[in-house]
Amino acid sequence: MSNNVISVRNLVKVYDKVTRALDGVSLDVEEGEIFGLLGPNGAGKTTLVRILTTQIPPTSGEAFILGKSIIEEAERVRELIGYVPQEISVMTDLTGYENMLFYSKLYGVPSSERKRRIENALSLVGLLDKANIVVKNYSGGMMRRLEIAQAIINYPKVLFLDEPTIGLDPSGRKAIWSYLSQLMEEHEMTIFMTTHYMDEADMVTDRLAIINLGKIVAVGTSSELKRSTKLESITIISKFHKEEVKNLLNSLPFVKQIYDGKEEGSVTAYVENAEEAVIEIISTLKENNVDVESLSMNKPTLDDVFLAYAGTKLEETTSALEARKVRRTMQRMR
Amino acid sequence: MIAYIEKVLAMLEVEVRRIMHDRTELYTRAVQPILWIGVFAPVMEKFRVVPIPNITYMEFITPGVLVQSITFVSIFYGLNVIWERDLGVLNKLLVAPVSRSALVIGKALSAGVRGIFQSLIIVLLAEILGVRIVINPIYLLLAALLIVVFCAAFAALSIFIASLLKTRERFMGIGQAITMPLFFASNAIYPINLMPNWLKAVATINPLSYAVEGLRALMITGDLTTVPLDFLVSFVFVAVTIVIASQTFKKIIE
Ligand SMILES: Nc1ncnc2c1ncn2[C@@H]1O[C@H](COP(=O)(O)OP(=O)(O)OP(=O)(O)O)[C@@H](O)[C@H]1O
Ligand SMILES: [Mg+2]
Repeated sequence: MSNNVISVRNLVKVYDKVTRALDGVSLDVEEGEIFGLLGPNGAGKTTLVRILTTQIPPTSGEAFILGKSIIEEAERVRELIGYVPQEISVMTDLTGYENMLFYSKLYGVPSSERKRRIENALSLVGLLDKANIVVKNYSGGMMRRLEIAQAIINYPKVLFLDEPTIGLDPSGRKAIWSYLSQLMEEHEMTIFMTTHYMDEADMVTDRLAIINLGKIVAVGTSSELKRSTKLESITIISKFHKEEVKNLLNSLPFVKQIYDGKEEGSVTAYVENAEEAVIEIISTLKENNVDVESLSMNKPTLDDVFLAYAGTKLEETTSALEARKVRRTMQRMR
Repeated sequence: MIAYIEKVLAMLEVEVRRIMHDRTELYTRAVQPILWIGVFAPVMEKFRVVPIPNITYMEFITPGVLVQSITFVSIFYGLNVIWERDLGVLNKLLVAPVSRSALVIGKALSAGVRGIFQSLIIVLLAEILGVRIVINPIYLLLAALLIVVFCAAFAALSIFIASLLKTRERFMGIGQAITMPLFFASNAIYPINLMPNWLKAVATINPLSYAVEGLRALMITGDLTTVPLDFLVSFVFVAVTIVIASQTFKKIIE
């Protein structure tokens, strides 16, 4: 056991004796962070969330939420967590307020506090003025926000979100992100979310884990992960004598490797940290009177990270399946 | 314990609110029983096919078709649970701090709530068609209790079946496949003593027969001799199905 809010040790989940959805997953989530689980379709994201939220037992391994075992102390764990499933799971035949009322009762919110908490939660996600509309008539993004409001009705310590922005248009996704960050400011909690969107993992999460075929292949902040690919580089184009430029660059301690660039007179230097390196490189070149025509910084994307660790591109594995999944999600909303 | 009851009540409240928001299903489901009572029964009566002392054939089958109707309502709850699983609603319920048995009881009693509304409509229409209902508040309350218990039992049975079948496709046909044979192999539309022996045996172990018998006594004849046994059988039926369904319930999401 540890002080981490979530700690996962060697989780394995085998469905129907054949599908190894999780293949020895271990990770730790610290207090107050937004932790992202990034992976393509079928990577095992939902499976992990379902195990951590006590819906299904793992085949082997263990996990703790605030020190409580998700296997032996499932009932206690349920009191500590909030959960938004991957599917849009609001009751569409009731109003937003009625949905909230039901969950507030299910979570045992005292009757004297119900109205206030429901109104707070609804206004936090910008739905207070839509509270008495039957949810059928909500947009997909509004339904998602209602679900988030529901999930925080009991002030959970840990909030699990399974692909919270799937099927939403860019503005709907941005709205969810901003509500989430507002949420983090107003309540002390830890968020564990899954996603297969690069930009979401990049912008929303504090730390993330990359999961592929049931295995965690990398963990860290998005910049740590990018850096760890060792793909940060600076490319300089200059009419100056090329060998001279190379020598100058080579004299700098942080330059790892130097290659000739594709273009005429270009040199690419691989470095530890491109932002810091660029300043020193410019001043060194200046000191030696090297005329620089252009200089560009190349930073790896999470795509590069995914390629480096999982051996495939995330986008390729996702697109077709995603289209299908989005359609499915939308159908269910009808 | 109080918390437990509150959570079950919250589920019932949702069911009532659902009914309030959309009542069309209650009306469409009333069509079939009304055809039995308003069309089938008078024809049978005319030819005196089924001899029954003291009451009209229409009155005889009213509790029968009522029970058939609420059986249909209840057997639909398992499908409903699978549907909710596919929507993620069920997953959310299972993550809430609510025991599995409270969820099953909540679902089962929700069927009871809907069954009551359904019965009210059918009874009112039957009364209009000329069925003489015993107007005794205690009898009617007992009848309502029997309806709730019976609906809860069938809903729990249905949830148990759903936890075995797991998919909507497989469950689809099962409603008809279970309710129709139970209906015909019961005392719903003909008295047990007119049946061939093998059917008599089936009807005797058919829980539907006891619900029909109890309701017929409380609503039509006012002769309560069989009522204690009818309640006993129904309570045992509901206890067994709820215990079993609570055990298997969480398998639906695995
Ligand atoms: N209930 C189940 N029974 C059998 N196999 C399952 C079940 N749920 C998931 N799987 C399989 O386990 C693997 C992981 O699925 P999971 O849903 O956890 O992936 P995911 O990362 O959430 O994918 P997605 O992005 O599509 O939601 C997949 O191969 C999937 O087909
Ligand atoms: Mg998933």
